[in-house]
Amino acid sequence: MNLDGKALGPRNKPPDMVQFSVKSLTRPWMSPSPARPRSSIRVVLTTLVAVTLIVTACGGEPVQGLGGMVRTPPPDVSSVVLPDVSNDGGEFTMTAEPGHVLVVYFGYTSCPDVCPTTMADLRRAMADLGDRSELVDVAFVTVDPNRDTAERFTAYVHAFFDRGHALRTEDPAALESAAKTFGASYEVRTGGDGTVEVAHSAFLYAIDSTGHIVVQWPFGTTSQDMNRDLSTLLRRDA
Amino acid sequence: MSKKAVVTLTVGLVLVIASCGGSDGPQIGDPWARTSASMQDTGVVYMTITGGAEADRLIGVGVDSSIAANAELHETVMSTSDDGTEMMMMEPIESLAVGPSEEVKLLPGGYHIMLVKLVNPLVDGSTFDLTLSFENAGDIVVQVQVRDG
Repeated sequence: MNLDGKALGPRNKPPDMVQFSVKSLTRPWMSPSPARPRSSIRVVLTTLVAVTLIVTACGGEPVQGLGGMVRTPPPDVSSVVLPDVSNDGGEFTMTAEPGHVLVVYFGYTSCPDVCPTTMADLRRAMADLGDRSELVDVAFVTVDPNRDTAERFTAYVHAFFDRGHALRTEDPAALESAAKTFGASYEVRTGGDGTVEVAHSAFLYAIDSTGHIVVQWPFGTTSQDMNRDLSTLLRRDA
Repeated sequence: MSKKAVVTLTVGLVLVIASCGGSDGPQIGDPWARTSASMQDTGVVYMTITGGAEADRLIGVGVDSSIAANAELHETVMSTSDDGTEMMMMEPIESLAVGPSEEVKLLPGGYHIMLVKLVNPLVDGSTFDLTLSFENAGDIVVQVQVRDG
């Protein structure tokens, strides 16, 4: 395909895994008393306890027993707010309701293969949850707002999920920032002949009620594996 | 057995074998298309192509203009951006080689036929014809089943 090579979308890097360093932990309020001798073991123990406390306090402890990708520490996406065009453009915040799991995807509706396959697999995973599927909310962020009009995009999302949220912003900076927070990436290029080529990372992100990504599923994850992880997460939040 | 019966049987067998002549070419298994949303402009068709006696090549796909503006042979590939992030994208491909008796699967995340500018949504349970053009075997028309994937 002959493209003009001009990338309209950003190329985002997944956020670096945050590393706690000892230095960052030796804040005055958690330093051992200077009057007492510091053994290296004590420093290590204090550090471990402090790390545990910090991670616990953030509500971001990694969940055990999940089949999908678990990032450490779980990325906090609660700051991401996008317009929900399936709800008259009302603000949508990337945080699950208490006891719910929010599943978020970045894609576009002209994507015939990867996106519908992923949506269909998620739909099956949710159907297999029975009544508990009501505790799973789905939000789809379009990376191609130029072609995905509010009407078309809402119809697409609702074709898969009656209660699904269609998130669409016309502000490229807002979209770029949202994707970056998730570690998602996309490129939309328009060729000289008007053809549009889209590349996008194809993860489903599961978010808990504290706004952390607790697990993410790459393309090709089976509906059974998603179902198992959703069950685990719902049990945890129950 | 009378001579007449033998002749009849022979003719019958020849006819049966002749009618199976198509099995020398590629065979198409389970051609299906995913249902599409009301304003979705693209559709997708998957199937399994099993090669015939000789190597062949799928060189074109066609669909009636009452279904979509055109059909294209595509492959979904991983593309890595400059910073190493893996992304998925589609690439049109010119042709698809099918070796003798080889099973080539068109499935989600791999080779697929993309329907461009759908005229109407693809509804669960409906069917439509798709023409597959092979270099040696010529055109093969298959009936595609639409279903929720």
